[in-house]
Amino acid sequence: MDLMYFAELAMNGALVGLMYALVALGIVLVFKSSGVANLAQGALAMVGAYVVWWLADPLGAPLWAAVVVGILIMFFFGRAFERLALRRMIGQPVIMVIMLTLGTEILLRGSAPALWGAQMKRMDIGIGQQPIVLGDMLINRAYLAGGVVAVVLIGLAMLFFNSRQGVMLRAVSDDQTASWAVGISVERAIGVSWGLAGIAAACAGILWGSVQGVDWTLSLLLIKALAVAILGGLDSIGGVVIAGVAVGILENVIPGYIDPLVGGGTRDLVASTVILLTMLVRPFGLFGREDIERV
Amino acid sequence: MLSLGNVEVVYDRVFLAVKGVSIEVSEGGMVALLGANGAGKSTTLKAISGLLMPERGEVTRGEVRFNGRDVAHLSPPERVRLGIAHVLEGRRVFEHLTPDENLIAATSMHRDRRRIAELREKVYGYFPRLKERLSTKAGYLSGGEQQMLAIGRALMIEPKLLMLDEPSLGLAPYLVDEIFAILEQLNRDGVGILLVEQNAAAALDIASDAYLIENGRIVMSGAAGTLKENPDIQEFYLGRAGRKDYHAVKHYRRRKRWLA
Ligand SMILES: Nc1ncnc2c1ncn2[C@@H]1O[C@H](COP(=O)(O)OP(=O)(O)OP(=O)(O)O)[C@@H](O)[C@H]1O
Ligand SMILES: [Mg+2]
Repeated sequence: MDLMYFAELAMNGALVGLMYALVALGIVLVFKSSGVANLAQGALAMVGAYVVWWLADPLGAPLWAAVVVGILIMFFFGRAFERLALRRMIGQPVIMVIMLTLGTEILLRGSAPALWGAQMKRMDIGIGQQPIVLGDMLINRAYLAGGVVAVVLIGLAMLFFNSRQGVMLRAVSDDQTASWAVGISVERAIGVSWGLAGIAAACAGILWGSVQGVDWTLSLLLIKALAVAILGGLDSIGGVVIAGVAVGILENVIPGYIDPLVGGGTRDLVASTVILLTMLVRPFGLFGREDIERV
Repeated sequence: MLSLGNVEVVYDRVFLAVKGVSIEVSEGGMVALLGANGAGKSTTLKAISGLLMPERGEVTRGEVRFNGRDVAHLSPPERVRLGIAHVLEGRRVFEHLTPDENLIAATSMHRDRRRIAELREKVYGYFPRLKERLSTKAGYLSGGEQQMLAIGRALMIEPKLLMLDEPSLGLAPYLVDEIFAILEQLNRDGVGILLVEQNAAAALDIASDAYLIENGRIVMSGAAGTLKENPDIQEFYLGRAGRKDYHAVKHYRRRKRWLA
């Protein structure tokens, strides 16, 4: 019985973790090509959710069309952000670029509710409420769908980075000058990675919006995504999956046992503890690339 | 094929690093550009490949022509597509990619997958050693292997002009011989080469023409054989021992000051 309780917490946690991983994917995509920590991903996911809700609800588009168009809009939103804001920062210290992404996160957090209204919107993507019964375990249907979608999208991202285009993006993250010298259009490569981050944001926003409703709190996913990305190692797509599952399980299992004892509230500590411990013990994460030092 | 006319390069809008350099490389030629540290060799190559931009450098005067076309306003990737390849100082391979991925990264200008496969085989033909290290990350290759990879990567773009910035840097003499032999081979196969070197002896052996740059100015140029015989070159760049008489040094200093 106790074991079953644990398994149920772990299983649902793992699925939620995969949905975190999908947000974290946007951070990793950008880091893998430009070496910049993208701190705007939480707000991008929130904007993605708002856009799809807006297309589907006030504008009345069929859900599938709203999803497709929303994903496209977020792709161009990501590219536009790179083109209009980040490209001006070429030659500036990386910390300035990171601050710019953080500033954008804060700006979007405020402006999306201002534009569409602060009240929480419901977004129904047609996944039922009843849990799936697996033996004695109850599995949340929305989490299961979200986890599956996340795994598929992350798998696609992995394939992409091993394609010719993807190899070029990785080359850009290794050495921008050398990339120019062999004919890679560095600016465009980085723009594409932001566009892909926009797609990841749209998908994550839709899944999370359907689970918890659409409002500004979606952007708080940034903290969870950062925990996952840092634990996984910022530039490892595979790492994001493992770390996502780990964070998700910890976040579900620890409160499941400890909250009744201390009166709740441990859940939100997990992500921040993961960030801190990773930075202290293994700064490049579980699967992050090592700096190559040859003598 | 390549013609620099009175090119002047300024860094950060104030620092004049190259002061009116003119260089010619003919179709399929092999030209050496020699000079001491800080003379402006790398800067000259960057003016040709367009890589001054990320370093806040700028061509402020003169022209860079490639096959008759003024390329000064083209981006580095556009110049690559014209056939200008720049092998950077210090090799600069993509450390976290495998050798094979390093080659693939340099194929953005090619559409045809078969062509890419052929080019790869051709590169491995020149550098069979790279094929033995296919699954190692390039950062873990030896210095010589990295230099070979950097050259091989440049060959993937099918250059008409291959510019190399100190390919002998930090390599054992037998490796320098090996790499220079391959450069000769490439040149015989029709690739024009502009070779920047501090190792003047090796460079003058394979080049047909050479330029000597000092303080951002060309101070001597001509057939490689003639330069090799020049007493100043012998004294200061080929390091001939036993001829260090004071008079020659003073003569050279005077000459340098006059040229500056
Ligand atoms: N990015 C830069 N910004 C400012 N000054 C620079 C820059 N790069 C080079 N310089 C200066 O321009 C001059 C020429 O440098 P360059 O790198 O072309 O010399 P080099 O002949 O290649 O020397 P080396 O043999 O040491 O590589 C030097 O005085 C150098 O300090
Ligand atoms: Mg140099």
